[in-house]
Amino acid sequence: MTLILSLAVSILFGSGAYLMLKSDLIRVVIGMVMISHAASLLIMASGLTRGDAPIYPLPEGAPVSDPLVQAMTLTAIVISFGVSALLLSMVYRVYTSHLSLDLDDLAAAEEREETAQERENIVETAGAQDEAAAAPSPRQDTHPPNPDGDQS
Amino acid sequence: MILVLPLAIPWVAGVILAALDGRRRGAGWLAVLSLAAGLVATVWLAVDVHRHGPIGSVAGGWPGGVGIRLQADALGVLFAGLSLTVLLFALVFETLGGVRSRTFPACILLMATGLTGLFLTGDAFNFYVFFEIAMISAYVLTGYGERSRQLRAAMIFAVVNLLGSVLFLIAIAALYHVTGSLDMEEMRDRIPVVQENPAIITSAVLFVAFSVKLGLFPFHFWLPAVYTGTRPAVAAILSGALANIGSYGLLRFGADILPRELGLGAPALLILGSLSIIYGALQAVSRHVPGEALAYSAIGQVGYVLIALGLGGPVGYAAAILVTVVNSLSKTLLFLSANLRGWLVGAAFAVGALSVVGVPPAVGFLAKVALLRTSLSTATTPVQITMVALIVVGGALAFVYMFQIYQRAFWLAPENVDAPPSRAARRAVVVLLASLILALGLWPEPLLSLSEQAANVLPERGIP
Repeated sequence: MTLILSLAVSILFGSGAYLMLKSDLIRVVIGMVMISHAASLLIMASGLTRGDAPIYPLPEGAPVSDPLVQAMTLTAIVISFGVSALLLSMVYRVYTSHLSLDLDDLAAAEEREETAQERENIVETAGAQDEAAAAPSPRQDTHPPNPDGDQS
Repeated sequence: MILVLPLAIPWVAGVILAALDGRRRGAGWLAVLSLAAGLVATVWLAVDVHRHGPIGSVAGGWPGGVGIRLQADALGVLFAGLSLTVLLFALVFETLGGVRSRTFPACILLMATGLTGLFLTGDAFNFYVFFEIAMISAYVLTGYGERSRQLRAAMIFAVVNLLGSVLFLIAIAALYHVTGSLDMEEMRDRIPVVQENPAIITSAVLFVAFSVKLGLFPFHFWLPAVYTGTRPAVAAILSGALANIGSYGLLRFGADILPRELGLGAPALLILGSLSIIYGALQAVSRHVPGEALAYSAIGQVGYVLIALGLGGPVGYAAAILVTVVNSLSKTLLFLSANLRGWLVGAAFAVGALSVVGVPPAVGFLAKVALLRTSLSTATTPVQITMVALIVVGGALAFVYMFQIYQRAFWLAPENVDAPPSRAARRAVVVLLASLILALGLWPEPLLSLSEQAANVLPERGIP
């Protein structure tokens, strides 16, 4: 039984890790879910004992199985359920703001914003040097130098 | 009762606030009030622990060994107080500027719940549950602002740290398997009779899990993107409050429960810590955006925690705790002040910079002295020389990058000339935090004795 469980854990973890390295965000989330299931199975495997059901009143003399791992697994499943929902909603927000779920597209967007920001910095420095150029340059959403120092 | 209050106040307030609109002024101030109440309760608990020693209670009135144990000792209480202070500063800062998301105050309070919970629990699985409470609110907070930049940061942060949490859960399952208990005290008693191999593998997994949270050198890849992507208050929370989980976890699970394995891994800790310091400092020197340089500086600073842990002994543990406290306060100050304008803010930033560098009036000096004391207390001369050289070089590099940032943010930045100074109330928060750092540096006795007391909780291990 331990062997079967450890095989299952390793297959789940391995495929989860493989999916997490993909560039599609949905696959990343599914990979994450599979890895957390691997962890849940591992908790079950960590307390495998043969015995009767641990329901009160306990049977005299006979061993009971370990109830603690099941409680832990249940908690872990609930947590990973909540986290998956959160992750999916974050993926949805990323999709609505980038119109893409591909990590390459996101990286490209990051680069675009960074170059825009650098260009802006150069314009600002030049503007400060001849003092006259007080015209506000078109701002991106990255680093507007507004008085409260907000970044958005 | 006294043990439950620091946990219950932010918890209840967080649940209530989750139903309210956080953008309203009233909700924001309600959050500030309840977080302050939680901090007062924690300080009260700390005073009690200081006078009468550790307090423990079993939830639900179950007999010991069956129920889940809450436990407050000097170490946990110090970390809880520190994290709540940082959260309070960040929350007041953001409330004064106007909160932009309805979930922000609730998330801060739930994170406070998670953090105090994990610092005050005596049960390894409960540690994981509170850890997840804190992490989930952190995932939501990283997306605060909801611009594409923050959303990308939140995505990276959530995926990497979830993996870290799962690794931690696996380590807990492994610890349960080898010790047959989830109670930290029982684990500590049983671990010496556990065979070496399983214990070493378990501690390696634990180490990786906490290093991901800390952003230590080989596990740091997520950190710069996240710290520069998020808003200043959130970056301050992540580096000032959430990163404490990593240091506390390493102290609690490494030094307290698995001291033998920590001793075996000490050379690895020293090497990784040194690499982290050098790498973080060099990267920070080469960065131009203040937020990015600060992010790399955070990677460098956690290296000191690791070095102090690796050198070990009561002096080393006290140094590790002191470095964590100092680092968390100064990083909060730096992240909050780097984007504000006005001359007092510049002075506050300079105080934070001095604290990171380790120059006397600021509290960072104490951390540097403690680190030097630790390295001189080791037995072998080569280790002594390397460590002292490393600390001096790290400090010098920190001086370079800190004043590069200062120059860029407060002297060269053209908007400085025209832009009006930031809102006075926000500046006041920053100045208050700066004076706290200065005060702790000028009157170091309480902090020093607190960190020593916290280090005394941990079992002694020979200095290598």
